[in-house]
Amino acid sequence: MDVAFFVFLSSGLFLGWSLGANDAANVFGTAVGSRMVRFRTAVVLCGVFVLVGAVVGGSGTTAGLGELGSITALGGAFTVALAAGLTVYGMTVVGLPVSTTQAIVGAIVGWNWFSHSHTDLGALSRIAATWVASPLLGAAFAWVLYHLVRFAVRVTKPHLLILDQVLRVGLIVAGILGAYSLGANNIANVVGVFVPAAPVGYTALGPVVLSGEQRLFALGGMAIAVGTMFSRPVMMTVGRSLMTLNPAGGWVVVAAQSLVLFVFSSSALEGLLLRLGLPTIPLVPVSSSQAVVGAVVGVALVRGLKGLRQIQWSVLRNIGAGWVLTPVIAAAVSFVALYIVQNVFDQQVVGPALQATAGLP
Amino acid sequence: MAELKGAPLRRTRFLQAQIDEFLDVVSQATLAYEAGVADYLQHGWTDAVEEKSTKIREYENQGDRLRSGIGTALYTEMLLPDTVGDVLGLLGALDHLLDVLKTNIVMLRVERPAFPPELHAGVREMLRAACETLEQTVLASRSYFRDPATARDHHHKIHFYENEAENTGVRVMEAIYASELPLAEKRQLREQVMRIDRLADMADDAGDELAIYAVKRSL
Repeated sequence: MDVAFFVFLSSGLFLGWSLGANDAANVFGTAVGSRMVRFRTAVVLCGVFVLVGAVVGGSGTTAGLGELGSITALGGAFTVALAAGLTVYGMTVVGLPVSTTQAIVGAIVGWNWFSHSHTDLGALSRIAATWVASPLLGAAFAWVLYHLVRFAVRVTKPHLLILDQVLRVGLIVAGILGAYSLGANNIANVVGVFVPAAPVGYTALGPVVLSGEQRLFALGGMAIAVGTMFSRPVMMTVGRSLMTLNPAGGWVVVAAQSLVLFVFSSSALEGLLLRLGLPTIPLVPVSSSQAVVGAVVGVALVRGLKGLRQIQWSVLRNIGAGWVLTPVIAAAVSFVALYIVQNVFDQQVVGPALQATAGLP
Repeated sequence: MAELKGAPLRRTRFLQAQIDEFLDVVSQATLAYEAGVADYLQHGWTDAVEEKSTKIREYENQGDRLRSGIGTALYTEMLLPDTVGDVLGLLGALDHLLDVLKTNIVMLRVERPAFPPELHAGVREMLRAACETLEQTVLASRSYFRDPATARDHHHKIHFYENEAENTGVRVMEAIYASELPLAEKRQLREQVMRIDRLADMADDAGDELAIYAVKRSL
């Protein structure tokens, strides 16, 4: 990887950093916020397993995102990632809930629009469907898990102190699965647009041999890992704004969210479903925040009307508005940014072949 | 607290045993108090009553030590971050009951009131109800740690026995003031009856708080 590649990659790494700072809270926020797990422990575990997940399981969702648009020019990839990063930053500043996944999808559509490329509506609708499916699936997983936890506690009647210990271990295990799945699923958001321009060839790091794509994933994973170090404020507040959860409810939310990310990123699960002749789940990046919101609503549903009354519906309404606005804003920001980078900074944002086809200067 | 330095599960088991021991101490002190006062009514301040009084003071000291150790361990080991306040509140309320048991038996030793024989049945009935209130509070506390949903079953019994103790106490005090005893003795006997009733009141207050803690813990 030459220096120019690193310069262009910086916008993706910035996106990775912001994803780590925000979404690590979805994985370990409940555990750290409730003081069940120390922040330092959470950061180390989250960083390590995000990196492992990105390198080992990141290719599936990257291919899924690639179906939406293959950005062949490094300048274009830089601008698209920057547009997504600016959208996430801007919406966070004005206090609107935002998803990195939706931002990058909107930004890629913006690139398609700018480069007159065809947007695969089938791929777009598959991805958009997961924005509805992932919170629903999160709610379903949480509903089932909460019932299981409640049943297990009622049958075994553990002492409060033993339950506390079991929940600590459970939060760490669910957090590790969540961090791995976050890395595997969301690495496509961070460096997915750079994959077509990634260097080829293999590098051996001791017994581990990494392809060019995996080296890119490792860099993105490290950016997310660094971002988790700055996630303390978000971790301390996550979950409280939507609904107050007890430690068992917190575990259920983290586990449900981890499972949602896992099913949308596991090639092994896809292979198993294919072998069984069952419909597969698309391997596309999904928002961990959306999965968490769905899981919290799932826990509330178990408690019936009493639980639903505990939900801050105004917060949920804002989250819903953010989900609609994010891709639209990201697409517009991406279009404008591509225009500026191409015409003001004189950088190639569209590959030469496509440029000729589209009649761009 | 040296035992706490070990594997997390061993530390948890040790602390669990400490909490169980604390609840045993409250229960045993209650039984000793009931037996001591009942014995006093029948035979006056005998060696047997003195022995019960000594036991209650020992239980009170043991309860203080256990509560302090449990509180320190919960905070230093960062255990039960969600419920540590409730647990310490509950143990504090039970420890206060131990203090009152000790004070009551000490004041009985100091004042040695002479209850007329016709009042003995009423005082014993009231004593039984008050001590049962404490016993039910201890049982509810055990439920809180293992099965908070059943704490409610004990909660209504706590109320029932507290009411019994209060009503019997009022009847005993009416009988005291209807008697021919000098006013000073009447006031002294009334004070002793009110001390027993205070025990039931405090156990009832602890039970009310416990009911809220149990709701907070329910899944």
